[in-house]
Amino acid sequence: MSVHQRKSLTPYLRGQAERLEKIARSYGLEFFDVVFEMLDAKDVNAVAAYGGFPVRYPSWRFGMDYERLDKGHQWGLSKIYELVINNDPTYAYLVKTNSDMEQKLVMAHVFGHADFFKNNVWFQPTDRHMLDRMADTGTRVRRMIDERGQDRVETFLDLALSLDNLVDPFLPLREHMKHRANAERATVLAQRSSSLDEVCAQPTRRTHALPTFDILGFIADRAALEPWQRDLVKTVREEAYYFMPQRMTKIMNEGWASFWHSRILTGGALDPGEIVDFADCHSGATAAGAGQLNPYKLGIEIFRTAEERGLDIFRLRRVHNDASLLDEIVDEEFARANALFVYGKNSRTGRTEVTERDWHVVKERLLLDLAWGGLPRIELVDEDFDHRGELLLQHHHDGRDLQFAHASETLKNLVNLWGSPVNLLTQEEGAPRRLMHNGREFTSVELPVTVAVKPVEAV
Amino acid sequence: MYRIERDRARFREIVRGKLRQDLRKYLSTSELLGRRGDKAVSIPVPQIELPRFHFGENKKTGVGQGPGQKGEPVDGDGEKANGEGGAGEDEGQHILEVDVELAELAEMLGQELELPKIEPRGDRALMADGGRYTGVRSAGPQSLRHFRRTFKNALRRTIAAGEWDPLNPQVVPIADDERFRAKKSCPQPDSSAVIFHVMDVSGSMGREQKDIVRIKAFWIDTWLRSQYKNLEVVYIVHDAVAKVVDQDSFFHLRESGGTKISSAYELVLQLIQDKYRPEDWNIYPFHYSDGDNWSARDTERCVHLLRDEVLPRVNQFCYGQVKSAYGSGQFKKDLDSALDGDERLVTANINDREGIADAIRQFLGKGR
Repeated sequence: MSVHQRKSLTPYLRGQAERLEKIARSYGLEFFDVVFEMLDAKDVNAVAAYGGFPVRYPSWRFGMDYERLDKGHQWGLSKIYELVINNDPTYAYLVKTNSDMEQKLVMAHVFGHADFFKNNVWFQPTDRHMLDRMADTGTRVRRMIDERGQDRVETFLDLALSLDNLVDPFLPLREHMKHRANAERATVLAQRSSSLDEVCAQPTRRTHALPTFDILGFIADRAALEPWQRDLVKTVREEAYYFMPQRMTKIMNEGWASFWHSRILTGGALDPGEIVDFADCHSGATAAGAGQLNPYKLGIEIFRTAEERGLDIFRLRRVHNDASLLDEIVDEEFARANALFVYGKNSRTGRTEVTERDWHVVKERLLLDLAWGGLPRIELVDEDFDHRGELLLQHHHDGRDLQFAHASETLKNLVNLWGSPVNLLTQEEGAPRRLMHNGREFTSVELPVTVAVKPVEAV
Repeated sequence: MYRIERDRARFREIVRGKLRQDLRKYLSTSELLGRRGDKAVSIPVPQIELPRFHFGENKKTGVGQGPGQKGEPVDGDGEKANGEGGAGEDEGQHILEVDVELAELAEMLGQELELPKIEPRGDRALMADGGRYTGVRSAGPQSLRHFRRTFKNALRRTIAAGEWDPLNPQVVPIADDERFRAKKSCPQPDSSAVIFHVMDVSGSMGREQKDIVRIKAFWIDTWLRSQYKNLEVVYIVHDAVAKVVDQDSFFHLRESGGTKISSAYELVLQLIQDKYRPEDWNIYPFHYSDGDNWSARDTERCVHLLRDEVLPRVNQFCYGQVKSAYGSGQFKKDLDSALDGDERLVTANINDREGIADAIRQFLGKGR
């Protein structure tokens, strides 16, 4: 069944890819077909700048990312080993300049990612034909540019992109589960031979019951936009939801892939002469850098610990995201073994210091950073605030203030999309505030403490 | 990859737009100095970010991994350590370097300050041998053969010899018919120029004053380079005596003597006479000082030197007076009153960094 297009691979690597795939499947990994493409370093930077999709719509931002990656490559500061995209078939890009051992490591790693994409629950709602969809989008956006001019399309796209983290990370999975339940009910009903129309007459247009975190969805449906503008907002939202699970499972995903490349390669897939080079390369990728958290390192330790504790790691990789998995695995022993700590800036010395080693505090902080994809939780609570047709947003404050200059600019972009003023309830250094932008000016009002912002909810 | 190159070009276009907007800012900082290669300047631009809601300053805490007790600094300290706080996204500090060609930067400067293009000097036509293949001659290499002329000649000869048969129109050129393209020298106004940057380094010129001078020198170089193919720069410093120095010393030297400006003017004059003859060079002396000369007598000598010797030989002489806490600023007044109305002399006051742009415009705004 596997129609592997591996034209760009050398015969040796083609053979290795097939061998590694067999080994990976024998361990229980399960994935869509994997298509390897060999690129030179310059092209891999270009593909990376497009977020893995060389067919994407044109934008200066990709040019900027490319500029940075390309400079980094020229100066020897950064090097991309591999790129994998969540698609059916799963596409993986290899870099020509890597050694055969490195290619093998990368391929084994890729099979880990491919398994994760296919089986992790958060990826279930994602579009598995994203490559085609991105290509379609690219064509549509290019046509828009031809019709309406680059400046106009670009400016609007930038507006929409500036709001691309105003989405509800949990929405796609919720909807997915609901649909699945409906589908099951439909089958049952069908067996009872009642009218299918009744079941299928679900409202197709999502009604936006407020409050909602899916602010971009609200804008896409409700704002007064021209058709091409609505199309762009929807596209941005779609891509945001496509990439969100990768944001929410970074540690797991890298940990899982590293766990498996390590196991597969040291389980006999390497030539004896490659072992030392492998160890060097692997330890480089999973090194605990100076005081930093390396997702590869943390992830692989999580899965190794889970395995030692006799847990079913395949189940863990299916049902969790970073926050929930760390919540399950991190305990006193894990925190000590991995020398985890909380750091902070000492305002007196200006140094970054270890501020806490107590594992409760460490875990709490870790979960805070990982919850909600690492983004501020901002909810749309009212679309007719103060009976003036203004939007009211609420930032669920958890001790971390917003960056206010950017918040002001972002609010302005939201005003430009929505068409009337937008308010945001938040806090600054413990004091509740209401930020407001009306398209021309930004105001920030301190609120009396009685208008208490909703307390932080545990996620 | 063709597509990414288009996006990159678009990005660079945007950066240039930003640069153009912020040019005034760059005009008053020393950020660009030392970033100049032969052809391009690499300009640091902050990564242009789309605004998004994200966490701000007080998020500079997070979870790390490694040794160290409570209260001990994290390995590698501050800046680097706030990278991967789990899923932290602190992208504020990325700086990109974008190469901008000198010619383009000069063009931006020209637009921003509305500088006129420099006219070649009228009375002395400076010639350079350009040379283009516009002539024709009867000998030359086959590669330069003028096909049309050659066949025209052959046709003429054939008809003259009565061998032309309209029913069988054959023309065969012989060696005598052949014509070749030839290089014709066409004199063009020359494009060599020399800049003298003369700086007062006496005790009263402080660090800030020197910074101002050096930023100005950078922009003036950039502009004149775009106007002349061949530009030489001579750096001269003076206190009570003047000497030629290299670029590096010019920018870093600190002397502390008295001030005898005439010494510098004499040196400039001598260099012009020995090396940069006005027949061959467009000459631009720039003199920067805080305007505190040693004696009125020396100032008199300066005026005399300028009026009789230097000014007749140069395109333009510019005097920029940098304000300092100690300088009296008398020299500019003296020059202005003594040489009033001579349009080859331009004087300007530079009070602070913001004044640099205006002073550049005064210096270069005449297009001489």
